[in-house]
Amino acid sequence: MDGTCLELAGKFPAEGSRLVEADERELIRRAQRGDRAAFDALVRLYDHEVLRLALKLVRSPEEAQDLYQDAFLKVYRSLALFRFDSRFSTWLYRVVMNVCLDHLRRQKGRSEVQAPANPESDTEYFQTVADDRPELDPERSLKGREIAGRIQSALAHLNPRERTVFELRHYQGMKLRAIGELCGTSEETAKNCLFRATQKLRVALADLV
Amino acid sequence: MANEGVTMNCNDLEQALPFYLYDELSGDERAAYEKHLESCQLCRQALEDFRRLHEVLARRPRVEPTPELVVHCRQALDQALDREQLGWRALLRSLPALASLRFAGSGGLAMLTLVLFGFGLGWTLRPHTAALLNATKNAPSLEKSDLGTPELGHISDISQISPDPKTGEVRITVNAERRVTLEGSLDDPRIRELLVGAVKSYDNAGIRRDTLDILKQRSDNPAVREALLHAMRNDPNAGLRLEALKAVDGMEGEDLHQALLDVVEHEKNPGVRFAAVDALANHVTKEKDNTMLPALEELARNDPESYVRMRCASTVHALLGDAP
Repeated sequence: MDGTCLELAGKFPAEGSRLVEADERELIRRAQRGDRAAFDALVRLYDHEVLRLALKLVRSPEEAQDLYQDAFLKVYRSLALFRFDSRFSTWLYRVVMNVCLDHLRRQKGRSEVQAPANPESDTEYFQTVADDRPELDPERSLKGREIAGRIQSALAHLNPRERTVFELRHYQGMKLRAIGELCGTSEETAKNCLFRATQKLRVALADLV
Repeated sequence: MANEGVTMNCNDLEQALPFYLYDELSGDERAAYEKHLESCQLCRQALEDFRRLHEVLARRPRVEPTPELVVHCRQALDQALDREQLGWRALLRSLPALASLRFAGSGGLAMLTLVLFGFGLGWTLRPHTAALLNATKNAPSLEKSDLGTPELGHISDISQISPDPKTGEVRITVNAERRVTLEGSLDDPRIRELLVGAVKSYDNAGIRRDTLDILKQRSDNPAVREALLHAMRNDPNAGLRLEALKAVDGMEGEDLHQALLDVVEHEKNPGVRFAAVDALANHVTKEKDNTMLPALEELARNDPESYVRMRCASTVHALLGDAP
């Protein structure tokens, strides 16, 4: 289990920004005693990756911000329960994944709460985040946006668990064993989710393949 | 392919195909897979199809939070943590009627539960709750310093609001140290103020959404009306701003028109903005509110969105009685 945790932790956040473990433990202890500055430091250590993950899973920056806030508030409320039995990053990302899965389930059940689905909203979403691909000519750019919209729509039709597993495996490059650990499920379940997700995407995007 | 074993193998390999590409097969499985590929054109084709799917999926733009979004998120979290440190004490301070209640539940329990029954039916308090309220009626009001005392316990946050459409019952679950059940209606100012406070300032979007759902049934109440307009203008979630916009559609009046105009002028989400301009046009035309004319004319001339310009121009024509 610890091997999995280490593997997981390696994905978040960038190594360069990671404090040495002893410093992190000290920060956690101070935050557990109510030191707000220490908690803020922990947030800044991990929040970029949390926000990136949230942006991948939801349709808009506003929703990503809600996820970000819900996740860190939950971490803040339950930090006292963290007992150093696992890596802090593993514990934190479990909390984040639970918030994301809850959000996706709620979103699935209450489609009316989503921001209005019009072409503008997708444009807004993609303009909000930086795109570091090489410049494309206008025609390719338009086509690219159409394809991006199709992919986004196909992903939105996966169920929350399939969507999450697919995002983590395909776009984050995380191993299925680690994903199972993160989502509180088995590697086999994660494997089944990935299989179903790829089958659905293959059907939904058949005309583009 | 005529060989039955190979056919089975093809089926097995089709199942394993995604995991081959994701490098999730064991060494033996991978070797067997590759050996089969050498002799099976069909499976090679299937693998190629999957590779092309991966190429298509790679065309999804890389999502990176902008520095502005990161800063915005951090600032919002900072404010939420400020409120969190005060917790429900802050909300209770703004709700004098609720704060005046004495919570007389059994000690040591972890939940405070408020149960509301029968919206729209002019509910009455159930006897045991009424007794509780009456029993505490003459008790001195809780001061700020009382809010963390053992008598009330520390109330940290709302964990759930779950309306039941069949019975009209709503249960609000709040994390705390004691358990109390209150039953009342939206006519009860304490309940109303609690929900109005939650829809305006609570951090969790799901809770705000559930609260909005309940409050929109009483948009005739001035405090609820104000809260709905506030949510339409200020809720951080675009979906909830749109929900609030729908909720105020049954209302009338110049404050509504002004709020809708604010949304048209300042909203960044195009879907919400277009819905707001539609609502503004309908309300202003129906209620013949000529005070909106200058603002509508300005939008009709200069708004960057052609739809907004067109909608405002037709509303101006309708108000001036010279519609084509």
